[in-house]
Amino acid sequence: MNGVDLRPLLLSFEVATLATILAAVIGITGAAILANFRFPGRDILDVLFTAPMVMPPTVLGYYVLVALGRNSVIGHAFEALTGSSIVFTLTGAVIAATIGAVPLVVKNVRAALEETDATLILAARTLGATRLRAFFSVQLPLATRGIVAALMLAFARAIGDFGVTLMVAGDIPGKTRTASLAIYSAIQGQREGEATTMVVVLTFLVLSLLYAVGKLTARRPR
Amino acid sequence: MAIAAVAAVAAVALGVLATACGKSGGGDGSRRGEPLRVAAAADLALAFAEVGKAFEASSGKKVEFSFGSTGLLAKQISEGAPYDLLAAANASYVDDVVRSGACLGDTKALYARGRIVLWSSDPAKLPAGLEGLRDPKLVKIALANPEHAPYGLAAKQALERSGLWASVEPRAVYGENVQQTMMFAQSGNADIAVVALSLAVTLPGGYVAVDPALHEPLDQTLVVCKGGSAGGKPNEARAFVAFVGSEPGRAIMRRYGFLLPGEALLPPK
Repeated sequence: MNGVDLRPLLLSFEVATLATILAAVIGITGAAILANFRFPGRDILDVLFTAPMVMPPTVLGYYVLVALGRNSVIGHAFEALTGSSIVFTLTGAVIAATIGAVPLVVKNVRAALEETDATLILAARTLGATRLRAFFSVQLPLATRGIVAALMLAFARAIGDFGVTLMVAGDIPGKTRTASLAIYSAIQGQREGEATTMVVVLTFLVLSLLYAVGKLTARRPR
Repeated sequence: MAIAAVAAVAAVALGVLATACGKSGGGDGSRRGEPLRVAAAADLALAFAEVGKAFEASSGKKVEFSFGSTGLLAKQISEGAPYDLLAAANASYVDDVVRSGACLGDTKALYARGRIVLWSSDPAKLPAGLEGLRDPKLVKIALANPEHAPYGLAAKQALERSGLWASVEPRAVYGENVQQTMMFAQSGNADIAVVALSLAVTLPGGYVAVDPALHEPLDQTLVVCKGGSAGGKPNEARAFVAFVGSEPGRAIMRRYGFLLPGEALLPPK
């Protein structure tokens, strides 16, 4: 245990927390739109939100490098404004982790929203609530358990991201070397002890999260 | 409970895998018709692709390469990965695979000595030498991960011995191997990269050689391996080694900037 660098684990927590927040904002908005509106292109939007779940990390990493890299329009503007690039920074690592987490939020929150009792929402509407008010005061609270479960899954996914992070974050110790990158480096560098510590912590954490998600989403007896 | 269930599933899965792998075990004959499998350091990606083609043309045998950081490849071979030959970017990882019993110690041989260079896709950004890396306009400097990529380690040593590490480290980004490091600079995401001459030499852009006296020599060493549980192809592997050392093989390696055994090692230009 002595001499083991814990920075990657702490960094992973930071990255996964920020990524979960970002994924929550994007994912819940997306899920609300998909669950409550019918419009042309809805299926395509659904596919776009889900795609990162099944795309190879190399493909996603390539997209990020091209879209947000230092030579891209967005990357260039960001660097001009903030003085630091998106890729090779904490921002890049957070974006990498968010990409994998968003589909989990969209899929699970959408299911939770669609499972809410439509008559309750209609009742709120007849009592004069706007669509937005009915969503925030009735539908969203009813879906709380599903949303919390979705965010826990998103966190678990974000803390484990490897492929996209490896491609866009630059593996900088203390800055972008997350636990999964550090494990990779430690194993290659024949430092099994260091890898083991992080492997055990991550495994325990992710299994606990999955267990909690299972408990949360289990059907309650009516 | 849940953890016990997961463990049980994992144990069953491992058992199935082990059985499947066990079936493919056997002597030399079980690999008939399969190509020679070579694990090669990432700095060889361009040179060995060409050497491989020439070898196939002259011998009629198929050869397939897996390029990666030497550290990763050595680790995989130690764990039983089915490679017939390891062409490393240094010597110490070769000792590791021999010690693990996966490769044949008596076949260990130096086949080339590598060089590191500063490379940029934009020659205007290229400094005259290492000292130029102090320029803060070079926002990102890419090197291979020094923990397991020998070219990254050499780059770090050269920067340390020139007293530049403190200036470069905050701006450093690390590629998983020297090829990915090159990609960072090729795509313009890093302003400059410290990479293998053998990768820089054929690309547009420009490079400046780093004095080899500033780092431990990149004594690229190879070793014939046992091919994991599927069995090796030691004779074909030896034939490939002989080809690398033959005049046609050496001519290709020389073109990619490698210094070759038996020739005056280290004549920096």
